[in-house]
Order: sequence, then structure tokens, then C-alpha cells
Amino acid sequence: MSGPSRLSDVALAAFAMLVLIFLLLPVLIVAPMSFSDAKSLEFPPPGFSLRWYQNLLGNPIWIDAGKNSIVLATFSSTIALICGTLAAYVLVRGDFRGRRALEANFMAPMIVPSIIVAVSLYIFFARTGLLGTFFGLVLGHTILATPYVVLIMQAAIRSFDIRIEQVAATLGASQWQILTRVVLPNLAPSAAAAWIFTFVMSFDEVVVTMFISGTYMTIPKRMFAELLLQVNPTITAVATLLIAFNLLALALLLLFSRRTTLSQGLT
Amino acid sequence: MSDASLAARGAAADAAAPRRRIRWDLILLIAPLAIATAVIFDIPLLNTAYWAVTDETGALSGQYFREFAESAAYMRIIWRTLLISLEVTVITMLLGYPLAYWATRLTMRPRMIVLGLVVMTFWVSILVRTYAWIVILGNGGLVNRGLQWTGLTSKPVQFLYNEFGIVVGMTNVLLPFLVLPLFAAMIRVDQRLLQVAETLGASRFRIFWQIFFPLTVPTLAASAILVFILSLGFYITPAVLGGGRVPLIANMMDLLINRFARWEIAAVVSIVLMVITLSLYAVYQRLRERYQ
Repeated sequence: MSGPSRLSDVALAAFAMLVLIFLLLPVLIVAPMSFSDAKSLEFPPPGFSLRWYQNLLGNPIWIDAGKNSIVLATFSSTIALICGTLAAYVLVRGDFRGRRALEANFMAPMIVPSIIVAVSLYIFFARTGLLGTFFGLVLGHTILATPYVVLIMQAAIRSFDIRIEQVAATLGASQWQILTRVVLPNLAPSAAAAWIFTFVMSFDEVVVTMFISGTYMTIPKRMFAELLLQVNPTITAVATLLIAFNLLALALLLLFSRRTTLSQGLT
Repeated sequence: MSDASLAARGAAADAAAPRRRIRWDLILLIAPLAIATAVIFDIPLLNTAYWAVTDETGALSGQYFREFAESAAYMRIIWRTLLISLEVTVITMLLGYPLAYWATRLTMRPRMIVLGLVVMTFWVSILVRTYAWIVILGNGGLVNRGLQWTGLTSKPVQFLYNEFGIVVGMTNVLLPFLVLPLFAAMIRVDQRLLQVAETLGASRFRIFWQIFFPLTVPTLAASAILVFILSLGFYITPAVLGGGRVPLIANMMDLLINRFARWEIAAVVSIVLMVITLSLYAVYQRLRERYQ
């Protein structure tokens, strides 16, 4: 649709840009605020200071929460990656009855609202003694992550030429050798991307964590608790670090997924 | 399983009918996730359903469903959630459609920047995005100080801790879920159809409303359903921007579990929300499969 620029085009562009600004506003506001030297939340910040970062890094509660979050995200995303990748391979290459039903079941934790997962795990863990344990928390985060691993790795395996596997089989490789020597090394970039994606998801997860973590503190849980209490500018520093961390992860992910079909899987 | 046994199986399998043999190696590979999903997901959900439909003795009973349905307080929260989700969905469509459409008409580089910015917000934690609205809309926040500076109001306007704040926060979080798929659908619209219409003398207004827009409606509908589904389960935004004064379904479930210890009612609400979500998701899938 070409043609001379008209009033409607200008109106469209102006409106769309306002929507874009609305979308970006939280990020644009929070980061500068974290460098403010004011005691309260003022925008624009009256002066520059790193006091909220010093506050944050000098506070053992936040440091502990950060350690917990990292350990939790590492365990759950690694377990999810291993289980999810193996299952994705079977879903793509296998041909058996009930394949679609099984796949739907694997995807379900992504579709069911996380509040329902949270309530269900709470009741179930309360009955089985897992409530408030680190192990239970890892299990909860793992099951939230697996659908994304299956999704990403299925896309990656589908785009991997099956004839390469057939050649390996013809040359006498066992199924196990095909998987470990041929398939998995070729999937490494997608696996890295899937791992980063699920790590960030686990790192940001609040709802299920709130229900089943007991006394374990994670960064988002701590942040959520502070938000409800009331506004302490230290949170702007946490928020900014989280933004930086998430964007760094996104950059890494794009780096790994440049030549994979990941981008299709995520949108 | 050892390599030797696999090799033996492989050799034997070549002779056997390929479809009917049991592939133990594949079963072994899929077993970890199948077991994990069953134990950490399926069984807990079935357990919740069990809590919803049985009484203390374990006998089948609809008493908790009845209690839930007959309580005006629960029903009010359900209706409020449906209403707010609907508002959010409509606003998201009204804001998201023009943004996606504008992006399709940009040249390559600005388009990538716009899409990159949208994807970026996707990646910022919901908690952070929600938190920012306290700074923006709070009594001493950006908007209120601007309003007072211009003299439009003398007292701060209460934007937060009511439905307005929740709708703003949720719309902000959910916009990318509509904009990105919609953009993808708009890009796929065959430009030749529009050119033909232009050649035949249709006005730009007619080309848009009679050709372009109808072609994007299935994706618009599918994305709107997705946004609606996600709205129904929102917990963080109403808790933070509603300040506990405007609880939605998810916040009610939190209270039922963590404050009142009414697990049975929480289980009932879970099942109701799940049925609504999965039915809508089925519609969403059908729309997506038919038009892609």
C-alpha cells in the first residue's frame, strides 16, 4: 500500500508510537530511578548516586535470596533440559500410538494457569511432606520449565536431517551412539538456548514459589514481599539488575539461536 | 542399557516387523519426563480434583461446589475477574492492532528495532514491569506530579489500588502476546490482493476494511483468546497494583490456601478456572490450526 503520506498515516504512526512508549515505560522509568539519590521515589531523579546498589549488595537477605535463586534455577533448568531433550527426541523420531496425547500432557504445565499448578502442588506437597523443601521447589520449577524445553528441542530436532542418523545407523552405530555422538552434539546451540530460557523463567518465577517454598527466599519472592509492604527504592536497584540480567540472557539466547529454528518456537 | 544389548536388539529388529516391536530404548528416553510429568503435574492436579468433589469422609459430594456457587462473595470475584479480563483483552486489541500494523509498514531496519523493543519487554520480569507502575501512577508518581504541575488537579488522583491500576498493569504485560503473533499474520497477507484492489479502484479505506482486516481477524481472535486466558490467572499484578482491595480469582485462591486454609474451596476454584481455561484454549488451538 504505497501512496502519498496522509493524515491517517501520521495519526497511525503517532498512535503506534504512543503504544510503544506505554509498553516500554516501565523499563524506561525503573532504570534511571535506581541511580537516584532521593530517599523517596521521585522522577526524574534529583541527582546521581549508587546508594541503592550499596544498600542492596550490603544486605545479606538479598544476597542469600540471590544465591537461592541461582542454585534453584540451575538445578531446575538443567533437569528440565535433560528430561525435555530426551523426550523431544522420542516425540519427533518415534511413531507410536498416544504420541499426540503424550505431547499434550508434556505441554500442559505451560497452558494451565500457574496459580492452579501452585494450589495443586501446595496441597500435594503438604500431604507428601515436600512442602517448604528445596527439593520440592526444584521439582515445581522443573515441571514449569519442561514444556519450553520440549517445544524448543522438538523444533531443533525436526530441522536436523534424519538422513544423517540413517547414515550413522547404516555405518553400524547403535541407537545410543547415534544419540550421543551424532544428534546431541548438533543440538548443542538449541540446548544452550533452551537452558538459558528456562533459567530465566525459573529465576523470575513468583507464583508457584510463593506457595511451595516455605521459608526459602528467592529474589522475586523477596521483591514481591517488599512490594506489598511498601515502596523501598532499593527495589529499583533489584529491578534494574533483573532487567540487565534478563536482557543479557536474551542476547546470549539470540547468539545461540541464530542458526536454529528457535525463533519460530518462541513466537 | 548396554551397547551390546542395543546392538543385538538392532540386529534382531531388522528381521522383525519394524512397527510392532517395542522400542525399549525410546521408552527409556521418554520415561524421565513422562514420570516427572505424571508425579509433579498430573497426580497433583487429579488430587486437587479429588479434593473438590469429595467430602471429609472421601465420599463423592458436590457440597463444596454448592458452597462456592451460593457464596455471593466468591461469585463477585469471579465476575470481576471475567470483566477485568474482558476489558484488558479489548484494550489490548485496540492498542496492539495499530502497533502491529504500523510495524508492518516500516522499512526493514526500523521494523526490526520496533519488534526488538516489543520482544525485549517480553523478557523483563512481570514483577519489574508491575512495580514500575507504582512509580508512575502512585500519589507522588510521575503522572500525578505532572497533573498537579499543570494545575489540572490540586489533590493526587487515585490511579492505584483500584481496577484502573490493575487494567493498566495487565494490559502492559499482555500487549506483546497480541502484537507479535498479529505482526506475523499481517506480514503473511498477500500484498498482491491489495494491489489488485487498488488497481480496480478501491479506496484505501475499503482496501483496509474489506480485504486486509478480515484476513487478520482469525489471528486477532486467537491472540485475544490467549490474552483473555492469561488474564484470568493473573496473580502478581492485581496483588501489587490492587493493593489487596481488588482481588481477582488467583488472589482469592491465595487467600483460601494461605489465610483461611479452605483447601476444598481452593480446589473447586482451581477446577472451575481450569475448565474455563482449557475450553478457551481448545478454541484458540482450532483457530490457529485452521488459519496457519
